[in-house]
Amino acid sequence: MSGQPTSTRRRLRFGALEILAVGAVVLVVAQPHLVSMFDNPALQTAATVFVSIIVQALPFLVVGVLLSAAIAAFVPKSFWQRALPANRVVAVPVAGAAGLLLPGCECASVPVAGSLMARGVTPAAALAFLLSAPAINPIVLVSTFVAFPGQPQMVLARLVASFATAVFMGWLWLRFGRAKWLRMPERTHLEGSTPFHTFRLTASHDFLHAGGFLVVGGLAAAAMNVAMPSEWMEAISGNPVLAVLGLALLAVILSICSEADAFVAASFTSFSLTARLAFLVVGPMIDLKLMSMQAGIFGRAFAVRFAPTTFVVAVAVSSLVGWWLLS
Amino acid sequence: MTREIQSIILLLVGIATLRISWGTTYLNYVKESMRPWLLVSGVILVVLGAWLLIDAMRARPEAGASDDEPETPTEGADDGHAHSGPRAAWLLLIPVLTIFLVAPPALGAYSASRDTTNSIATDRSMAPLPPGDPVTLYLSDYVTRAVWDGGRTLIGRSVSLTGFVLAQPDGSWLLARMQLNCCAADAFASKVRPVNIPSDAGLLPEGTWVTLTGTWIPSEGVGTEETIPLVDVAGLVVIEKPTNPYD
Repeated sequence: MSGQPTSTRRRLRFGALEILAVGAVVLVVAQPHLVSMFDNPALQTAATVFVSIIVQALPFLVVGVLLSAAIAAFVPKSFWQRALPANRVVAVPVAGAAGLLLPGCECASVPVAGSLMARGVTPAAALAFLLSAPAINPIVLVSTFVAFPGQPQMVLARLVASFATAVFMGWLWLRFGRAKWLRMPERTHLEGSTPFHTFRLTASHDFLHAGGFLVVGGLAAAAMNVAMPSEWMEAISGNPVLAVLGLALLAVILSICSEADAFVAASFTSFSLTARLAFLVVGPMIDLKLMSMQAGIFGRAFAVRFAPTTFVVAVAVSSLVGWWLLS
Repeated sequence: MTREIQSIILLLVGIATLRISWGTTYLNYVKESMRPWLLVSGVILVVLGAWLLIDAMRARPEAGASDDEPETPTEGADDGHAHSGPRAAWLLLIPVLTIFLVAPPALGAYSASRDTTNSIATDRSMAPLPPGDPVTLYLSDYVTRAVWDGGRTLIGRSVSLTGFVLAQPDGSWLLARMQLNCCAADAFASKVRPVNIPSDAGLLPEGTWVTLTGTWIPSEGVGTEETIPLVDVAGLVVIEKPTNPYD
């Protein structure tokens, strides 16, 4: 809000700090009223679910932004040119496979992928990494193994389907993606005077940015969690096509952390294994909180194209892999 | 958004995280194993916020000079980037305020009544119950043993079960408890139906926490995922809400 500084404006200027201060006073005064508003059990449940999504995601987000800040501050740009094959078609699966190494959930991979792009990694490769890292890392595979006792093929199917979807999406971006859709993360103002200065500027910025969008996604997921009648689920489990689509859509709505989703998937026992695979492949790649975070970090033009395409590709690939490995 | 505001939001999120994980409030939202991670995250956020605040204070043109105008350039180190902070950061105040002002309680009767699946089918063989008379069991463990193993491991044992009262439309009540896989977003309920409730137990309002001692009795029909097993009540004690409200 830059304008002509006039003497009147100088006197009446209300900055963010004042808003924060006045807001705090109003809220403290209104607190008893606020609490009684939350007497409604549905609203209370939604509030609990919302806070729990944020609390559960927070440590992963912190790890993610520390990692992305470390990439920005301490890893020279030339490293990525040497680490990734120059041929971009080959770089995509290599970056996808690197996802095996980041033990985190999807909240961590959004800032890391943004940081990789800002450091000159080709967007297609960074996107393959973004999609594969939360789905195929060791913690997720182990928890899938534990959640599906006696069905180790589920682990293999999850690995194959998630990796294939990530690589396919990377290649799709190479072939059809337009640079103008992607708002490259603007980071020049985060260059500090020393690497440690850059580190703390980037970490703070990325946390506040990605965290804000995590809140939007968490609110949406909590509202849907409470508003959705549980009978719908039972109604669709009998139809093989609806079952796959239904669980894929549920993965988008529930926005569960990828390290726990296998246990949830295992509980949908009335659904086919293929439908549950779709839940496990879609969830870490695209859900309400991720859509919100991707729109925030990479721009809306990117998110409105990338999110639905990822959903379609992930559902198609899991159906194929399920038919191949799980039947 | 100025660096000061950014640092205040970081500090608030960090303090809120520490506040819930220092005591036992975090158990309303996530599993116990998350605690060290929450504590570390809280400390990191507080350190980042404090560091940013010190940066901003150092960058002030005249430290200590009385400066009543909040929007004077305080970003000296990075001229012209006073508003470089992400606007979305304001949204982080929503969970902070929810934690401090509303303090959402653990999931209870409302969630339990919406969950129609009571236990997941399993063909896992059940280990014998540990020693103890009565033996304290998780409600979910009792349900699985009763529904999917025909109560084989429960025969002849006195069990102690803890949960909350879930009122039924017919005036009776079930003993219920929520369980988490990861966080409250994926919680599910376990329920048992107490029979022969002592008449002096009186009317228990929904949500009351109780510990039942009793024995398993077979219910009719074949076990399904909706089956609610029975427990023949020998004793009932009203208790305080447990520290960890989930199974």
